[in-house]
Amino acid sequence: MTTVPFLYKAESLLMRLLPLPVALGMLASLCAVFWWVPTERVQGAVQRIFYFHVPSAWCCFLAFGLASVTSAAYLWKRHRDWDNAARAAVETGMLFATAVLITGPIWARPIWGVWWTWDSRLTTMLVLWLVFAAYLLLRAFSGERDGGSSGARFAAVLAIVGTLDIPLIVFSTRLWRTVHPAVLKTSEGGTGLSDPRMITTLVLCTLSFMIMFAWLWALGARSLRLDDQVALLEERGDRLAMATGSNTSSGEATV
Amino acid sequence: MLTLLARDLRLQFRRGELLASSFVMGVLMLLAFNFSLDLSPDNVAALAPGILWVAVLFSAGLAAGHGFVGERENGCMDAIVASPLDRGSVYLAKFIVNLLLLLLFETMLLPVFALFFELTVLPVLAPLALVLLLGSIGLAAVGTLFALVTVSGGGRDLALPILLLPLEVPLLIASVKITRVVMAGGDFPWADDWVRLLLGFDLLFVVAGWLAFEYVATD
Repeated sequence: MTTVPFLYKAESLLMRLLPLPVALGMLASLCAVFWWVPTERVQGAVQRIFYFHVPSAWCCFLAFGLASVTSAAYLWKRHRDWDNAARAAVETGMLFATAVLITGPIWARPIWGVWWTWDSRLTTMLVLWLVFAAYLLLRAFSGERDGGSSGARFAAVLAIVGTLDIPLIVFSTRLWRTVHPAVLKTSEGGTGLSDPRMITTLVLCTLSFMIMFAWLWALGARSLRLDDQVALLEERGDRLAMATGSNTSSGEATV
Repeated sequence: MLTLLARDLRLQFRRGELLASSFVMGVLMLLAFNFSLDLSPDNVAALAPGILWVAVLFSAGLAAGHGFVGERENGCMDAIVASPLDRGSVYLAKFIVNLLLLLLFETMLLPVFALFFELTVLPVLAPLALVLLLGSIGLAAVGTLFALVTVSGGGRDLALPILLLPLEVPLLIASVKITRVVMAGGDFPWADDWVRLLLGFDLLFVVAGWLAFEYVATD
């Protein structure tokens, strides 16, 4: 099986280089979030979830962006590697999107007094999650490894169209709910990041999450690639068995 | 392309079951809304636009997948794709057929809708029809694009609304907003952001569908 050398190299490099930075970065982030950074005066300890919430959101946008770019590359080049890259990006992105949707309400409950509000950002995030959940469902239902690539092509279309739809979703949900400006303001991290240590923590967490995203993406893409190779080998094994079997029994080879 | 269009139209109208099933589905949804929302003359004006559009969205979404089923069963799609016709035109033909079916379905549903909820739609019929047309263009564009998913093997068992509805969120919001303005007796709000949004959605998905057919529907 031929590969896209660039993707293969990128995966290998990331897989080899990143485990240590990921471990150190996440450890440092945890320490910073729970010990080092001062407690926010107005919101209290719950504000600390912000340092995981925001990096998750960034990573999920990064992931979905990557997914649409690699999907476009797949439609153009029609090489499975690009499809695998896109699929791994969506899977990883969904992980971060789910993290955003879980950490958000945990913060919102004590601060806004509600778990959920149909604010523009929340709605957009939810719709985004649903679009890419549909992507994964489509992949699951289209009988992957069936040899046919129609599922892959339509998933690619969905990823691209979904990304094109995002500006419209943002625009429409923002127009739709203009009655809660207060909510929008407080979602900027409450009273703002007053302490420089807060900004450092945020930057540290964001970097760590991005490294983790890159690592998870590489692992995901590699595992899909290995799946492909296993399927190919199995197919080859079957063909071999069929050939030898027909030689010994009847001599009437079928295929 | 015109031949294809005429052929598809003849097929759909000769069978008619697609239209009938969407109509029944739409009426059922109106019924379900009536019971679940406990509609009364005080709240019906606020809720009716949403009810209309959700009924249209779901009925259209469920119907969208079936438009191609016959094509797959008799292998017709392969023949169409293999024909010298360029695939963008195939999309446009399918899109127009779906749009016409959708408009016909809405024409049938609208009187029932008005009747059930004691609404006077006749004075506002022209602007209301315009909203329905603009919304339907977007719905038909998205629906036709992803109906190909069901015909081309992948995701045959996946309920199409799962794919369609998240993408249609902007369309739903915009259409409901404009419908509310229109049904309150206002003129069609051409200068409104909602209309621009709806037009943008229509344009985006017609172009996206056309391009996608051109480059994706190959084998």
